[in-house]
Amino acid sequence: MKNSSTPGDSERERAPAAADSSVPWAQSGPSGRLVTLFGSLNERRDVVVRYVFDMGDPEYRIDDRQVKETLASITPQVPAAAWYERELHDQYGVVISGHPDLRPLLFHGNWPEGVHPMLELPANISWANREYRFLEVQGQGVCEVPVGPVHAGIIEPGHFRFSVVGDTVLHLELRHFYTHKGTEKLFEGSAVESGAMIAESVSGDNCFAHAVAYCQAVEKACGVSAPARASAIRLLGLELERLAAHIGDVGFLGNDVGFVVANALASSIKESLLQASARCFGTRYWRGVACLGGVRVDLDAGKGSELRLVIAAAARKFAKLAHIIVETPSVQNRFDSAGVLKEKVARDLAVVGPAARASGVDVDVRRDHPYGHYNGLRLEVPVTHYGDVLARARIRIAEAAVSARLLEETLSALPGGEIIAPVPLAGHAQGCSAVESPRGELFYWVEIEDRRLKRCHIKSPSFQNWPAIPFAVTGEIIADFPLINKSFNLSYSGCDR
Amino acid sequence: MIVDIVERSLREGSPLIPVEALLNNCQGSRMPDVQPALLTPDIARGVKEICPTAAFTTNEENHQLELRLSYGKCIGCGRCIEVGEGAVVPAQGFKWTGVSKEGLVRRWDVNQKVEIAAVGASPEEARKQIYSMLGRALNIRQLDPGSCNGCEAEITALTNPCYDLERFGMHFVASPKHADLLLVTGPVTRNMADAVKATYQAMPAPRLVVAVGACGCSGGIFANSYAVAGAVDAMLPVDGYIPGCPPTPAMLVTGLLNVLQRCLGIFLSLAGKR
Repeated sequence: MKNSSTPGDSERERAPAAADSSVPWAQSGPSGRLVTLFGSLNERRDVVVRYVFDMGDPEYRIDDRQVKETLASITPQVPAAAWYERELHDQYGVVISGHPDLRPLLFHGNWPEGVHPMLELPANISWANREYRFLEVQGQGVCEVPVGPVHAGIIEPGHFRFSVVGDTVLHLELRHFYTHKGTEKLFEGSAVESGAMIAESVSGDNCFAHAVAYCQAVEKACGVSAPARASAIRLLGLELERLAAHIGDVGFLGNDVGFVVANALASSIKESLLQASARCFGTRYWRGVACLGGVRVDLDAGKGSELRLVIAAAARKFAKLAHIIVETPSVQNRFDSAGVLKEKVARDLAVVGPAARASGVDVDVRRDHPYGHYNGLRLEVPVTHYGDVLARARIRIAEAAVSARLLEETLSALPGGEIIAPVPLAGHAQGCSAVESPRGELFYWVEIEDRRLKRCHIKSPSFQNWPAIPFAVTGEIIADFPLINKSFNLSYSGCDR
Repeated sequence: MIVDIVERSLREGSPLIPVEALLNNCQGSRMPDVQPALLTPDIARGVKEICPTAAFTTNEENHQLELRLSYGKCIGCGRCIEVGEGAVVPAQGFKWTGVSKEGLVRRWDVNQKVEIAAVGASPEEARKQIYSMLGRALNIRQLDPGSCNGCEAEITALTNPCYDLERFGMHFVASPKHADLLLVTGPVTRNMADAVKATYQAMPAPRLVVAVGACGCSGGIFANSYAVAGAVDAMLPVDGYIPGCPPTPAMLVTGLLNVLQRCLGIFLSLAGKR
């Protein structure tokens, strides 16, 4: 196998990055889990890079260092950093020494070289035609199968380059960022109040998680927190979003193995939750509900009891349906041992969410870094170690049950009081916050100045998890790819931003 | 096990929503409407000021104040309703879907407190015409050129048993080569620009293009991003617009039926000439 993708291959630095004493774990390797790393500009417009790690404490650990001329890559020790450093390179033009692959990540062939929008945005960006080289697998009988960006269904765009021998996948290379919308740049200079609207449009089926993570980060920066009733309503939105997502995902897994009736039933159950949200909150996907300091929509008692009934019915129906799906032998035949993501790989790539918990990695922001109404709440976190499609389906089924229970508990004892608290936005402040979205850890970091956003960074669970998919697909047959991919159900827009 | 499921689904009855309940329905869409009788110049200027995507604009000429609302730009944030003092309210019915670009815009004379030249086709007629004119299936190819996936989630819902788009003879196909209609969300990103053109080129003529969502209609909240090439009509000739952020499944059904009503005559005559 030959990597023909990076020029100057032979000189590639494989040695660990030069020791930089300002980052304590650079020599020994961190004991924690990489959450994200990202750039920002200080007042002298120097690039400052922030490394966020989960060291097992409720607070995230954030180290920063100013980029001198080059930045030593941490990817050789922390493989999970690979895409983050490529993004940093694209956004800020930071030269990263020792990175194994610095091909453009965000910008495709029609972008000219040298565009680094977070550093400086040119008035006009010309249209270029640059070549992109995929990793080339050589050998007798090796074929390349290109798939996408336009897929055969109602699916987001992305490119998959399979190298196969017969049906067996030897290697899968992802090329994403087709939906890159410059979202982090869009936050810059926006009024802080408007940021929630942008956050809601990052990943359309997790919009409430994004909005809440954004609002919490600003609230943290300003030293306030949402009132108890608002936090409880936020929990309702977050758990309804998860419940609807998991029900839909399990149905679609059935669909992908030809069990169409199961999908029809699951999508009806999901629809009942969306319709109830529309009746109770005026929005099917909880857009426009979260705002700085709380929520914009209250829940009256009558609607609260209606919501309880709908959720209880949905949970009951889904539990029965899910049992039938995973216990059907022909379904098991396809799900069992397909697309195994090994725990070691999951840990190396800092995989989060249901995919991590299906591979034996016990992480859940709600329990590990509790926020809002989750503080002090008893929360079961289902974990299994098989790492296959069946395990990811089972984790979602178990989590749906937990969500339904949390919703019932919260709705039966909704705190009274205000739904919004004033947020003092004046001055300069930074803050971060994480939320367990249906896809896993979603982390926002904001910097505000004079009521405007100076920087907003989004770590999305999909950006973190996409690089793991090729590992789950290698050695499988190409016909199983749609099923394996669906079992992760990652967001393209959330990843590409 | 499979038998259990078939039995269960037969026992539960159909969740299908009748077409009468879908047409013009916009519950859950957060789209605004204006009560012209309550409009004042201050309210008109206030909603224009607060709108984050310039969906509300005003035009002042010869002491005449006109308020305009372009649904194609509206992301349904609801701020206009908060400051509108009752003159701006959540829409109870919605017929501005599947319309032409001009049809997305409504205008009010603020001084006279009346709406100017309201446009919008009657979905009831559309329904009748579909049945009489659509003598065959309409194949739809959905294309996501950079959407947040919100519109896709609602378009996917069209195939669930509650909305069941197939009952109208409409059907999603995998290949653009089999498609009559390209249902495009938005915005079109720079990285997707080539793929959008290639997909359209692959469709046989005659072909229809429908832009979906605030981002598809106008670029929405992403309109000014460096990474976005534009709304759908910056790339392709668009035959109909379905606004909303995202449009609800009911708005999508109404919009698709309206597009067919407006375009079907042209569509069939072109097909006849081929």
